[in-house]
Amino acid sequence: MKSQIQKSPSEKVIVFDSSSLINFAMNGMIQEFVELKKIFNGKFLITKEVKEEIIDRPMTIKRFELEALKLKQLLDEKVLEMPSSLNLDENKISQMTKEIMNTANNTFFGHKNAIHIIDLGEASCLVVSKLLDEKGIKNVISADERTIRILSEKPENTLAILQKKLHTPITSDRKNYEHFRGFKFIRSSELMYIAYKKGLIKLKNGNVLDALLYAVKFNGCSISDEEISEIKKLG
Amino acid sequence: MQERENILRILIETKEALKNNDSFKLKELSNQTIHTASMDQDSDNITVAVLVYALSKIIERKEYQSMKNWEEFYNSISSQIDLAINAIRKKDDKKLRELVESTRAKLEKYSGSLKFYIQDVFRKAQINKASKIYEHGISMEKTAKLLGITMFELASYAGQKPEIANAPLNQTLDVKSRIKTAMEMFK
Repeated sequence: MKSQIQKSPSEKVIVFDSSSLINFAMNGMIQEFVELKKIFNGKFLITKEVKEEIIDRPMTIKRFELEALKLKQLLDEKVLEMPSSLNLDENKISQMTKEIMNTANNTFFGHKNAIHIIDLGEASCLVVSKLLDEKGIKNVISADERTIRILSEKPENTLAILQKKLHTPITSDRKNYEHFRGFKFIRSSELMYIAYKKGLIKLKNGNVLDALLYAVKFNGCSISDEEISEIKKLG
Repeated sequence: MQERENILRILIETKEALKNNDSFKLKELSNQTIHTASMDQDSDNITVAVLVYALSKIIERKEYQSMKNWEEFYNSISSQIDLAINAIRKKDDKKLRELVESTRAKLEKYSGSLKFYIQDVFRKAQINKASKIYEHGISMEKTAKLLGITMFELASYAGQKPEIANAPLNQTLDVKSRIKTAMEMFK
């Protein structure tokens, strides 16, 4: 049986990577995140690998304990949910995560050694997105960090970045590229834009959109100044 | 250990740069180590990169060099580096690892006003090296784990580096298409 869930035709999912959630937390925009969830007809999911990075580990570090607690509350209040809420098998996700991570980490080579480019949290987002696709559930991945997004959307750019920065010839196993094709990505910058457009941001005076976009950029969202200018032109 | 010869060269040049109070050279040496560290992700390379960068930041602060215990401080680091060089030459990786770790521990326990500055320098050196590795194309999570820092620390530091976010190779989809993807999810 392909799917055991009772899916509403309008069910949608945003799968969050650690980097996007860290950005909201570091910017003190948790309430805006909650408001976004209220207007979203679907679920916000995180994997246990992402939970480890944004809640379990930082909870043990005094400097980030508060952000971790705020993110934990999102999970407690079901603003964020685990894949099991859609009957996705956690063990299967873990198994597939290791497989896709190994594929990614055996795609680019320098001095004949495989270059390990991603880790479990990022890989797990790909897996959940893929499993949701199989169930016919519309989904996107929200990731602020650039590596996983570039690997999926334009792997030749990953090759170019590695080559340029490592100052050495890099080879790639191009057949692996197909494992990363077809995923859709957004970033916290697009989520902030939506929050702004939908009137969820209470600030009224000043250049609010500019402030929001630069706030996420400065907390790790991989967005260029040029892209910010373009978003602002959209208004 | 991978790239033993590279670490040996870096440590020999580090000792010389330290003798000449050449913080610029030390930073350059640390960056050279990062190229190798990004590719091989060898923990010894990463530890050496952090140590060398931290040393560059320490000697950059000229006021510390006039302190009464500066000479003792310098001699202590210099002899630790000598021991590390000998360990590499003897292919004693375990000893090298212990020496690099103990150099950091010694520096962090140093008495006087240097102590807190040095502890801070090492933490910042880890974050700085992490942002360099992230810039090399390794993911944020992978990099944070390699350096033993949190993604929270790396995200805010890397976000302030225009060379990362503004790199043309980052843009993989036009702005309108990505906004459209996001808007459609909220319809």
